[in-house]
Amino acid sequence: METLVRELKEHLIRELNLEDITPEDIDSKAPLFGDEGLGLDSIDALEIILILEKNYGIKLQNSAEAKPVFYSVETLAEYIAKNRR
Amino acid sequence: MCYIEAVATHLNLTHDIKEVVPDATLRRRMSRIVKMATAAAFECTGGVQGIAALDAIVTATGLGCLTDSERFLEQIHRTGGQMLNPTPFIQSTFNTVGAQIALLAKNRCYNMTYVHRSRSFESALTDAMLQLKEGDARRVLAGAFDENTPTQHHIMERMGFWRKAEDGEGAVFTLLTAEATANSMARVSRVEFLSSPLSEQQCRERYATCSDGQVWRSLDKTVYPCRSALRFAEAVEEVRKGVPEIVVYNEYFGKEPTVIVLQCL
Repeated sequence: METLVRELKEHLIRELNLEDITPEDIDSKAPLFGDEGLGLDSIDALEIILILEKNYGIKLQNSAEAKPVFYSVETLAEYIAKNRR
Repeated sequence: MCYIEAVATHLNLTHDIKEVVPDATLRRRMSRIVKMATAAAFECTGGVQGIAALDAIVTATGLGCLTDSERFLEQIHRTGGQMLNPTPFIQSTFNTVGAQIALLAKNRCYNMTYVHRSRSFESALTDAMLQLKEGDARRVLAGAFDENTPTQHHIMERMGFWRKAEDGEGAVFTLLTAEATANSMARVSRVEFLSSPLSEQQCRERYATCSDGQVWRSLDKTVYPCRSALRFAEAVEEVRKGVPEIVVYNEYFGKEPTVIVLQCL
């Protein structure tokens, strides 16, 4: 899981072009969206959907399940670990 | 007729963009040309408060934000139109720069972008002058930007463009006012679009109003669609130094000639 979390952080930094941020700077339990944590927005959510599809073969079928999955890096990693192809 | 209060030229990214765009989310999605153009607009207006005070923002580009356009097209080609990242699409649109400038100060004024190849800057200038003339605006920011990329350079090289010229890029912005102010540097008296090229002598006969003015033919070696904006900025500087009048004649590879006449105050 630790390797997956780090890999996911690296994907986020690269795909979202997060300036001056290293994987160590990202708190795995902190919220990805909103004013706390990384402060991502709806466009970033679309980019994350593409990260899941391109790198882990995961297609989110139900938008209702996205909210808890997209809460933090840790929740994303748990979802990927269970659903990756 | 309108008055030029400021001009800013950025030929590469030298400004501290964090000072211009403090919002990291806005900044991380901006390509090099968007950063360059936004920095030029920021400098020209004197900062966020200057942008907030604008009545109109009119931008021009010949080819738009090429880096993001290429990324978007490359993704379409690679994925067959599936799983396209939203950011390059959003940022590749021609009006990205005008929108980013407005967003800096949340200015909801008239915001227009002209994409008329090498006549784009003159089109923006014409719109800005009409806004001022008709009293719809008192302070207008007009500018032009174009970037080059390795792909664009390669394509144009295969078309033989670089046998006599080299490519360039940059962003030029100018702050225009309806009335002369204490900060006015020069005035724009005419902008014209021609249907056929003119010689220097023809330009002088048709547009010069004083014998000691100059005619600049923008046919030098560095070319890109909005190159005339750079010549405009250089001419404003010369007029400010004392040249009474400069007729800036622009041709892009022998086509689409335009004329801008600048006069001292």
